Amino acid sequence: MVNAARPSRADYYRVLADKLPANALVVTSLGNASYLWAAMHHAPENFYIEDAMGLALPLALGIAIAQSARPIIVVEGDGAVLMHLGSLVTVGAVGPDNLTILLIQNGVHAASGGQALTNPALDLAQLARSAGISRARNVATPEAFGSAMCSAPVAGGGAEVLVLSTEPDVEVVRPPIALDPVLTKHRFMSAIGAPRYIPTLFGGGRLERE
Amino acid sequence: MAKLAAQPPDSHRPSAILDTLRRLGFGAAIAVPDGWLGEILVRIEREPTIRLVRATHEEEALAIACGTRLGGLRTAMFVQNAGVLSMGAGMVSLAQRYQFPLLMLVSYRGTVDDPVFYHAPKGRVTEPVLKGFGLAYARTDPHRPIGPQVEQAATYAEEASCPFALLLSREDVQW
Repeated sequence: MVNAARPSRADYYRVLADKLPANALVVTSLGNASYLWAAMHHAPENFYIEDAMGLALPLALGIAIAQSARPIIVVEGDGAVLMHLGSLVTVGAVGPDNLTILLIQNGVHAASGGQALTNPALDLAQLARSAGISRARNVATPEAFGSAMCSAPVAGGGAEVLVLSTEPDVEVVRPPIALDPVLTKHRFMSAIGAPRYIPTLFGGGRLERE
Repeated sequence: MAKLAAQPPDSHRPSAILDTLRRLGFGAAIAVPDGWLGEILVRIEREPTIRLVRATHEEEALAIACGTRLGGLRTAMFVQNAGVLSMGAGMVSLAQRYQFPLLMLVSYRGTVDDPVFYHAPKGRVTEPVLKGFGLAYARTDPHRPIGPQVEQAATYAEEASCPFALLLSREDVQW
């Protein structure tokens, strides 16, 4: 739930950078979710989404399925998740143990200038539980977030949702790197050792590992 | 594009689609069903090497498919053409902007072969909308085996680094 005095996105990101599990892959939603994370913790294992509002969570679900041995962390906004609430249902049905969903609840569409949400005070953790994600809770402080990030994954427990009560940040952070989408994709795929397509000209037509 | 291996005509075209996906090493299928797609999805669900994900909406399915492909799995989508109409923003701002190669197997409803009164409006606008998206696509040829057509569509997606939509008839995909 949205509280009166809320930490900033940077407060949570400092904890995330400190507690990031080994081998973790991080997917960030549009706007400062990506720009600030790139400024604070750029790494090839980050996948930055620009635009495509509401699609960070389902994209991260796909990565979690394909990379089931690695922890996947996705940062999604409350406005974005409201655009594709069905994604929570799909995550609940698939139940990937390796997916942690950080929902920034700031009550506004921060990436587009701070416009009001349809309902800024929803209990998103309760909503996630109703969608079949039993490991969902509201978090109000960076300390509580740090404790949550230290808890061990539960085998067979499915995805985890942490709803982070956050102060809106509408001032755009300048990212330290060019977030070229194709470069982001290739850098990420190279970092995880994803198989590459060998063109038919070279006798391939298949995905092959290096 | 390299010459594809000659294949005998397929008597049961949905089986040939599944055989082709298996042979090409597809590891994921992301779907939103319709009446034609229902049974082939049940068959895919039984495949040990293809992970089926049932999404709630086609734009969501598109993003999941981008994620599985990003994570290293060759990925197919099964959706109705109505779903392609409703995934426009994700198509241009995610799948095309990031150049994800995806094979989209689309049940093509509302054509002259499927003149259902409520499908017809979707059939009428499907190809103009795909052209508007800049989405590469083809209609299947009913006189050619379906397997090589699926393989060519999958190859196009990978070699051109973009989604490719293959528009399927009832005979192609309804089990």
